[in-house]
Amino acid sequence: MSDLLIQLGSAVGAEHVTPGADGLSVQGVSPHFVVAPGSVEELSEAMKIAAAARAAVIPWGGGTRQALGTPPVALDRPVVAMRTTRLNQVLDYTPDDMTISVGAGMTLDEIDQAVRPNGQMLPMDVALPGRSTVGGALACAADGPRRLGYGTFRDLFLGTKVVEAGGRISKAGGMTVKNVSGFDLMKLYIGSMGSLAIFTSANFKLLPIPRAAATIACEFDTLESVFAMADALHTSKLLPAACELVSAEGGQGFGLCVATDGLDQAVARHKRDVPGLAQKAGARASHVLEGEEHTSLWRRINDLSQSADLEPDEMVIRVASLPSLLGSALVALQVAAKKHALRLQISARVLNGIAYVRTRGTAWKAFHEVALTTLPEVSIVTLGLGTPEPSVDVWGRPPNGLDVMRRIKAEFDPANILNPGRYLV
Amino acid sequence: MTHLELVSELRHIVGERGLVSDPDALMTYNADGCVMDTHDPDVVVLPTTTEQVVAVVKLAAREHVPVIARGAGTGLSGGATPMRGGIVLVTSRMDKILEIDTRNNRCRVQPGVINFELTAFLKSRGYHFAADPSSQKACTIGGNIANNSGGPHCIKYGVTGSHVLGVQMVLADGSIFWSGEGIVEQPGYDLTGVTVGAEGTTCVITECWLKILPVPEATRVVMAVFNDIRPAAETVSAVIAGGFLPAALEVMDTLALKAVNDAYQMGIPPGAGAALIIEVDGVDDGLDDLLAEIVQIAKDKGAIEVRPAKTPQEQVNVWAARKNAFGAMGRLAPTYHLVDTVVPRTKLPAIMDDVKRISKEVNLPIANVFHAGDGNLHPIVLFDSTDPDQNARAHKAVEEIMRLSIGYGGVISGEHGVGIEKQEFMSYMFNDDDLGAMAALHEAFDPEDLLNPGKIFPRKVNPNELAATRRQASTVPGGLAAIVAKHGEKVWI
Repeated sequence: MSDLLIQLGSAVGAEHVTPGADGLSVQGVSPHFVVAPGSVEELSEAMKIAAAARAAVIPWGGGTRQALGTPPVALDRPVVAMRTTRLNQVLDYTPDDMTISVGAGMTLDEIDQAVRPNGQMLPMDVALPGRSTVGGALACAADGPRRLGYGTFRDLFLGTKVVEAGGRISKAGGMTVKNVSGFDLMKLYIGSMGSLAIFTSANFKLLPIPRAAATIACEFDTLESVFAMADALHTSKLLPAACELVSAEGGQGFGLCVATDGLDQAVARHKRDVPGLAQKAGARASHVLEGEEHTSLWRRINDLSQSADLEPDEMVIRVASLPSLLGSALVALQVAAKKHALRLQISARVLNGIAYVRTRGTAWKAFHEVALTTLPEVSIVTLGLGTPEPSVDVWGRPPNGLDVMRRIKAEFDPANILNPGRYLV
Repeated sequence: MTHLELVSELRHIVGERGLVSDPDALMTYNADGCVMDTHDPDVVVLPTTTEQVVAVVKLAAREHVPVIARGAGTGLSGGATPMRGGIVLVTSRMDKILEIDTRNNRCRVQPGVINFELTAFLKSRGYHFAADPSSQKACTIGGNIANNSGGPHCIKYGVTGSHVLGVQMVLADGSIFWSGEGIVEQPGYDLTGVTVGAEGTTCVITECWLKILPVPEATRVVMAVFNDIRPAAETVSAVIAGGFLPAALEVMDTLALKAVNDAYQMGIPPGAGAALIIEVDGVDDGLDDLLAEIVQIAKDKGAIEVRPAKTPQEQVNVWAARKNAFGAMGRLAPTYHLVDTVVPRTKLPAIMDDVKRISKEVNLPIANVFHAGDGNLHPIVLFDSTDPDQNARAHKAVEEIMRLSIGYGGVISGEHGVGIEKQEFMSYMFNDDDLGAMAALHEAFDPEDLLNPGKIFPRKVNPNELAATRRQASTVPGGLAAIVAKHGEKVWI
């Protein structure tokens, strides 16, 4: 172990290798070393050393999503947390091109600060943007409420440079907004949870900050009426940027927050028309929020999916379904939660078919089992458990094509160095 | 198995009407829209069902014969050319729109459905499929997926890849599954995402779920006419930098205008140097003001005339002219080479100047019709392919444009794919390690290199060998094999 410490120190500088876990832990497993390379080349060297020592490497950005997946299976191997936080520079940014290349260790807030002065944005809205690095958000396929209007990383991620398990540096894609030069490895790496390679940089398409923005917050008594409203929005010609269901704290009622942005007149139109649709669907009230009220509301909503800071009896799951089935799935979960005396908190991108559901209470395991068995057509992934429990089926129903996925993993990381045991592949 | 036995077994699978084996008829399938290299297939099948496709692929795997999926053959990079012979599997008889589910903004189609027919079908129901390549009247959805096709409206709506929810994939060994059916987040590697744009090298697609979008409430189209192409390109750069998000920004230069003007009664003033088509869409409120602002930019940059397409029919005419511009090139020269490359959008004016210079240097006319808003250039080198000297000069022009584009931070293809046309250019952008990562992905899908072999990777690169070299280099002493031996396999995978 001490040899490894010296070798890693020679690769990245002794001051950037911490013996011991440095306070980091993944579901009960603590790394033996925390390594923070300062460049792609240093990361590559550190990965070569880790591979030769047959270490298990846990890629680590802001650490806000380490509750995802199963605990690392490290057995008797050294465990290295490979931090990307020093890869936090803007690498290439010509504002008029509306593209940017950033180090994977930049947080989403830092990217925002870099592009906002030019009237631009990366509208990804991931939870805890002050702590989440873009590499980690990509690796976990994090999404945000404005996926309705702006899509996800899959739509805006143009190119990347990664370090693979054995230290090999490779790049894919480019800096242009259209590109079919070779295989789209960006799609492969998104959501692969660091099991194939470690992001060192990422290129994105940026968008102009809309001229105007506002929220129409509508209050409902029942989930059924919320989804009636969602249906009405869906069949209208309105184009909201986000449409997020939020269950009220304490369990009394639901809010449907409709964000509109773009031209002043288009925002005015939404402010005029959305309350009418809400009233027809049975809303008790609706309010228009603008300026700081609008901004701070969405900052709070974005964080509702976070799984970084959990109470011991807390569980966060992501429910993904066809949009038409989301309402009935959430009703079923509500019933199950009541039966098991769990407090339930929902935030859902209703028009995308995505819900983040948090439970508080001791019977979460029984609730989880009921959810998996009664909702077979829905994908349920556990994002975090306040008290890690290895027996929980965190990925839910296995995906089709698992054999191909295993072959991909075997090609990219045959020695199973990256995040061993943590991903479903 | 002899050739005759193979043909006989294929006939048994797809029937007499689904089989082409006559040597003269096979020539039809020796290339797509890119004729730089041609190879006859050994046999062609035109299956009508998924079961037939599976049976064909299984037979091919057993007999180690390549399978090349082909849609309408409109591809421009040689993606459908059977470089090593084998079975060309044509999807044109798998042309059914199977299901539309507007509640979930999706529809399920077979791969041989023609893009334009899907567009017409959806339009009557108030929806559209965002990818609208210029060849949409002929090209198929399967081909669009294989090439990650674009079109004028990608600037706002994204390329094909953003609109494919899942595909039913037949792997090289004949196994079949759906990669997704409309749920937008699922655990596991994104097999749909890596199949889009893979040019038929990961699987044969037998069905797909596509994302569809409601037709916007309002659309406005104007055409701004300029004396020269540079101010048109500058207008595009200024519009993008100004934070506008138009639905399309398309440029045609003087040669392209000449070609389409008569055919479509566009009434463009003679001597016009370029036209810029600007489209905005969304809710009706504010669109006129938005358009007025964009038009003002065009005027500031020197637009000599701005003409709105006032009626839906006028809008259709403008787009028909734009999309048929390539066909109209036949009026100008016997042959053309359509280049596809993308540059960062601030580099558009500079590369337009370069293209003009190159045209002078090689003494061949070069027309330009392109997706300016995306920085996606389409210089069209006009020449006579029967003249060897013109041929050589045309190729020199193409290479020079590609080299300059990459120098500007551009890429080798924006929407036509690599195929065989661009495979040597891959090394301009990617080193062996970059290609190795692609080879690793390819290996996981097609270890025998049976699905559309000889594409994307440079000719000297054998993807299977490259993947094997990588594997060897990654297998450190005491690595996976040793650990599995000690602790059992189940722990690891």
